[in-house]
Amino acid sequence: MIGVHDLAKQYHVGDHVVHALKGVSMAVAAAEFVTIVGPSGSGKSTFMHILGCLDRPTTGRYVLNGRDVSTLPPDELARVRNETIGFVFQGFNLLARTSALENVELPLLYTRQGVVKASERRDRAMQALEAVGLTDRAEHHPNQLSGGQQQRVAIARALVTQPALLLADEPTGNLDSATSHEVMEIFARLSRDRGITIVVITHERDIAAYGTRTVDFKDGLIVSDKTNDARVPAQVG
Amino acid sequence: MKKFLRHPVVDTAIKALSRNRLQTVLTMLGIAVGVATVLAMMAVGAGAQRSIEQQVRAAGLNQITIRAGNWRPKVTESDEAVAHQGDARESLRHPLDRLNDDVLPIAFHPEDDPMEKHDHPTARQRLGDLEAGLGSAATMTFDDAEALRQLPGVQYVAGGIHENVRVHLTDPAARSGQDKRWFTRMHGTDVMMPSIKRAWAFASGRFFTEREQDRGAQVVVLGQVVADKLFGAGATPVGREVMLWNQAFEVIGVVTSATWVVQPAAGDDQFDAVYMPYTTTQRLLNLSKLNDITVTAESSGDISRLSREITKLLRVRHGIGDNEADDFTLITQATKALTTGGLPPSVARAVASNVTELEKVTLEQLALTMERASRTMTWLLAAVAAVSLLVGGIGIMNITLLSVTERTREIGLRMAVGARGKDVMRQFLFEAVVISAAGGLAGILVGVLASIGIARMLQWATVVSPLSVALAFGIATAVGVFFGWYPARRASKLDPIVALRRD
Repeated sequence: MIGVHDLAKQYHVGDHVVHALKGVSMAVAAAEFVTIVGPSGSGKSTFMHILGCLDRPTTGRYVLNGRDVSTLPPDELARVRNETIGFVFQGFNLLARTSALENVELPLLYTRQGVVKASERRDRAMQALEAVGLTDRAEHHPNQLSGGQQQRVAIARALVTQPALLLADEPTGNLDSATSHEVMEIFARLSRDRGITIVVITHERDIAAYGTRTVDFKDGLIVSDKTNDARVPAQVG
Repeated sequence: MKKFLRHPVVDTAIKALSRNRLQTVLTMLGIAVGVATVLAMMAVGAGAQRSIEQQVRAAGLNQITIRAGNWRPKVTESDEAVAHQGDARESLRHPLDRLNDDVLPIAFHPEDDPMEKHDHPTARQRLGDLEAGLGSAATMTFDDAEALRQLPGVQYVAGGIHENVRVHLTDPAARSGQDKRWFTRMHGTDVMMPSIKRAWAFASGRFFTEREQDRGAQVVVLGQVVADKLFGAGATPVGREVMLWNQAFEVIGVVTSATWVVQPAAGDDQFDAVYMPYTTTQRLLNLSKLNDITVTAESSGDISRLSREITKLLRVRHGIGDNEADDFTLITQATKALTTGGLPPSVARAVASNVTELEKVTLEQLALTMERASRTMTWLLAAVAAVSLLVGGIGIMNITLLSVTERTREIGLRMAVGARGKDVMRQFLFEAVVISAAGGLAGILVGVLASIGIARMLQWATVVSPLSVALAFGIATAVGVFFGWYPARRASKLDPIVALRRD
């Protein structure tokens, strides 16, 4: 599914050159649920952006679904983001004054074939909302939803194009512990039931334990990469 | 429409614009002022253009009258004319002339007066002399008029017979024999006449119809002066009966002047006159010829070309050889106005022969003055329009930039879920155009009202054409595209990661 080879990324901040990634290589198989942990500044977010085709590596190769996407032009990257990748953010990033349903529909406005027909858009968005258990909140606006519900809407939005890869950058960062586990359960279920490849960044160890594999980042390098034999059952009070 | 409103780009635009409602409306207002000014400017320009054209037409600058006979009101050229005709005389001298050996009649011929009644073969036909008929008046026929109608550039053609008549009104209230009468001009003419005489307005009633012309009906249209003299000022003579040549005619209309350039006056040829179908005249007076044919050109600039064409055509139709003089006289309005005006005939002739362009010159000056005034107005409005559109455009740029800044995260998110740069660009460009187009529509409304207001209050003719409305709307939209371009481009160039991190 994912193959990265010697990925490096440098930023120029004033006169300084920041080496965010210093040569990362790893492979993720289809349907794997990978969690990435590491302190801030470890390069895990940069890595995630490259995986999400939001950014391009300075050197190295990124092969997604057998296709080298590290050198694609911006419009092609947009297409990959639309068709292959679903993104979930820490801050939810839902459009205000816009219903949950319409928020979920958003990626369907930018498909390669143009705007998806309104009725089909609605159907597909409802299915995605069903997958996160929010069909009864379809017409609610984000400010009428709790944090957990908002994040579930965001997950539905990421799912609506039926991507092969789901990326989440600290999805539980803005949530309390109970809700965090709820959200992680959804990821685990999607991985298990639908075979979606999932990569989640977190800095909480108990959240990372939901993955079938946990990768540790430090100073732009992978310091450990180990398979979790058993999932930690979420004990939610 | 509903489908259009539900289109995501439209829907997003409406949501985004209603977020900053006050700013949006204010920006629209700027565009509206600009567009309204553009529209008013074009309306004033077009109105001035039209009123100049109307004045020119009303004055008959596009009019040519072809009078039967070659009698000319020229004195200074007579030497030259005699000399020229003298040459012709040498080669084409008639035996009768030789007999007499007196060649004076060339300068004056009894048939020279085109206003006289002629109902005989032309002198040429009668005498078998090509030169003899040159002064004769009865050379024009209805077929000539029909032939002229076919010439390209000709707008209207009307044949005419003219007579001096006494119009009687038998007043039913008065004792018999005590009738009012007025000595005036009678024009037997064509139904086309009101179209040719643009300066005409009907005080009451109407002109005669094609049917009445075909029948030779005994109907008459009175000039304002005649109506006033016979019936008294302010009376409505329509439906009443007047007598000409001892025949009863029904009055069907009263014609008066429509412009301030010409005022009805006793002794003028237009309003101190009566009009009837030429067929009626022909029937009653047993005439078959026309005294003259009036032709109008589609454009007044075409007069000289058309004059040449008419001369050529009539010469061919009348079988006139290369060395012979015309048996008709071509008169444009300029010369006619002078010779039929209030000047003593001798003075008029002298003026007409020397300064034939005099009338035209004053009219051109009038047109020029009006054009200059309207141009000043147009430039003034153009300047206001340009400034307000510029300010409106900057407003659009400002509000679009504000929108881009406010919605940076949204742009980042849209990009993250697959929007391309051009999708983002299209969104913001559309929003800019919505503002400018809505402002444009409001401006068109205001502009049309302003044009009507200008027309009412300043007595200034304005014309709002569909083209100018379309143009004004086009300008508004173009302003939106032009000033929306930069902010939209800026939005489309945003880095999604940076955009997503922005608060």
